[in-house]
Amino acid sequence: MDVPLWSTFSYLADRSLPRGQRVRVSFGSRRMCGVVTNNGNAEQQYAFRIKCVDEVFDELPPLPEAFLDLVNFAAGYYHHPYGQTLFTALPTALREPRAVRLPDRRVWRLTPAGRDAEVAPRHKVRHALWQALCADDLAPEGARAVAPSAATILKAWQDSGWVTRVDAAVPPLAVEGVIPLNTAQRAALDAIEASSAPHKPWLLHGVTGSGKTEVYLQLIERQLRAGRQVLVLVPEINLTPQLIARFTQRFPLTPTAVLHSHVADGERLVAWVDAWQGRARIVIGTRLAVFTPMPELGMVIVDEEHDGSFKQQDGLRYHARDLAVWRAHRAAVPIVLGSATPCLETLANVDAGRYRRLVLAERAHHAAALPTVRLVDVRRAKRSEGLTDEVLAALADRVRKRELSLVYINRRGFAPVVACTECGWLSGCPRCSAKLVVHLLERKLRCHHCGWEEAVPHVCPDCGNTDIKPLGEGTQRLEAALGRALPTARILRIDRDTTQRREAWNDIYRQVHAGEVDILVGTQMLAKGHDFGALSLVAILNADAALYSADFRASERLFSQLIQVAGRAGRAERPGEVLLQTQWPEHPLYQALVAHDFDRYAAELLGERRQLGFPPASFQAQLRADAPTLAEASDFLHTIRERLAQPAQASGVAVCGPAPALMVKLANRERAQLVLESPQRAALHQLLNQLTEWLPAQNVGRGLRWSLDVDPQDT
Amino acid sequence: MQNHLVLTASVEREEVLRYTPAGLPVLEMWLRHHSKQNEAGFERDVTCEIQAVLIGKQAPLHAGKLAGNTVALTGFLSQRSLKNPRLVLHIEHVEFVKG
Repeated sequence: MDVPLWSTFSYLADRSLPRGQRVRVSFGSRRMCGVVTNNGNAEQQYAFRIKCVDEVFDELPPLPEAFLDLVNFAAGYYHHPYGQTLFTALPTALREPRAVRLPDRRVWRLTPAGRDAEVAPRHKVRHALWQALCADDLAPEGARAVAPSAATILKAWQDSGWVTRVDAAVPPLAVEGVIPLNTAQRAALDAIEASSAPHKPWLLHGVTGSGKTEVYLQLIERQLRAGRQVLVLVPEINLTPQLIARFTQRFPLTPTAVLHSHVADGERLVAWVDAWQGRARIVIGTRLAVFTPMPELGMVIVDEEHDGSFKQQDGLRYHARDLAVWRAHRAAVPIVLGSATPCLETLANVDAGRYRRLVLAERAHHAAALPTVRLVDVRRAKRSEGLTDEVLAALADRVRKRELSLVYINRRGFAPVVACTECGWLSGCPRCSAKLVVHLLERKLRCHHCGWEEAVPHVCPDCGNTDIKPLGEGTQRLEAALGRALPTARILRIDRDTTQRREAWNDIYRQVHAGEVDILVGTQMLAKGHDFGALSLVAILNADAALYSADFRASERLFSQLIQVAGRAGRAERPGEVLLQTQWPEHPLYQALVAHDFDRYAAELLGERRQLGFPPASFQAQLRADAPTLAEASDFLHTIRERLAQPAQASGVAVCGPAPALMVKLANRERAQLVLESPQRAALHQLLNQLTEWLPAQNVGRGLRWSLDVDPQDT
Repeated sequence: MQNHLVLTASVEREEVLRYTPAGLPVLEMWLRHHSKQNEAGFERDVTCEIQAVLIGKQAPLHAGKLAGNTVALTGFLSQRSLKNPRLVLHIEHVEFVKG
């Protein structure tokens, strides 16, 4: 059951229920949905009274064994209560204590009696429907298209035995628009094709624009031909429409299930059940799709495997890529992890021989070369609103030639902070240890961490000065500055504020592909696999901030983000150029970027991690606590630390902290953390098993809250 | 504490009108003052330059029209910023002067 407790619960049923059966039970005073995990002994005597199962939801078959297996693994590995893990893995509709109703999508077919019935042409609507049925079976929506009142008529005909309902035939496989592969793509495809069980995961390491998607598509084609299902995980919801469009173009008849958090509950349930019942042959989705049951799973593909959004940051803190690897291993099917910038964990697995790497070193489009990267030293150059003359001139040149440019700045809003230059006041968030960001269009100050919002003050709250100033640049400010500097340029801003609407991305693609845009101004959203076609210039501003971060993963992330953004340049026929404004042009990270040498810098970073004993050279878990005051959170962690001291020492696990979180205060709660670290995964997990026994029941009130994060991604 | 300055000066240069994040118009300018004053019973020449700023409703009305003109100003003095002690005249009232 979906409760924060480690155990399962016993209920009586009037018959034996299979494992995976959904039921309704009462739990305390609540009616809740439960899932049967095992059958006890009916003869067994209990020392307490046990309640009965109230209702059995058997409109769907019991959840499959492979699904329960995956849940069981996830609960164990992430040390999360089994019930909560199970309910996280289920689509929302199946978490409710209610039977679900799935739309009846069987088709209508004329019986011999119906064929003989000869509906008279003067009954126009009925005649049209009958004729349509004579020609072919009709799906419910097809019948509605012939006659809006079809449902009523067909019901009546069904009663008189003229029509019946049958399952729609599986559509044949159609494959359209296959692009010939180059040598490297072909080699990768053949290698994966030739692999046999036990499969080691494949890392498909292809530079940006090397045509990884085409390799996926041809792999999928083979799987579909062999009658197997394919699971495709992508990081961003924004990427799904683009990818789905490519999939439906390639496989126009193949039923495809799409699963991400923006799909409405009802639709998601249908897609999930379709995948489970084998009707959907391809499942594309974000991290939550990793749990989708697929009886004939033949292959798993994880695109942009380095992406942080595969890691869930609350509740069950799972990493979808890692679960996908386990799932593929368990199902004995191949898994392909694709990226231009694989994460260090994956590279370490390649080094250790656990994964195998396939390299696509060339761009797929024969005319497309990797862009030239130039560093613009801002220590000497004068900047106006964050832009150097060099970058501005390059942009102006592209606007004149009507070529598309991209200005990348990883900060939305107008400016990251408002300051009073007379007394030194800064716009701080009253609830977090963070600054309020100026959103000038709305004349609001917003906290990007807790959502706090207030009007921009007219005067400095400390000294009354009216001339308070926005400091630094965000996307809104650049949009405005570029509009003034290049009045003829058509500028489109892309950040979380402009992409909230459901249709936002479709509009963006339409505008870009129709050539209605000269300059895109955007945040890291643009670093993810979007293909805008002919990007001729990418200008990167204010990248340096990440070099000063205390998070040991910051350089890895910055490097991968920059390679991804730079990779937007020079696709298709036009050569691209990347200009990066920095104060540290000699930094090895930027030098590697100029040389397009991912491998060398990644090896350097990996070497550093090994020296320092950080992941992937070690395994970590983080116990976080938050409370109204830091003292409460630290005290709790101190107690835990003391209890852990001895067993930790015995098993060689280092316990560090408690230390205040990098952002101590968030939404009026102060946070601290304890880091457990060991070079041995098994030792760490053994200690975690002990730890979870000691942890108090989760408090949902205002007091102390804790959470455990295995393989944390944020420091 | 008193802080009141009366000054007649010519406007050497005007910045482009800008707005604070709260939407208040701000007009910055540079003033040049030249006059004869009495000191210890002797008449002497006085020359000075000072930065001035006009904030509020008056700013857009005067923007673009001040440069090159002589104006009579009243206002108060404040230092430019936390780090820069140079004085800036914050204009409360401005009036054109012939000649």
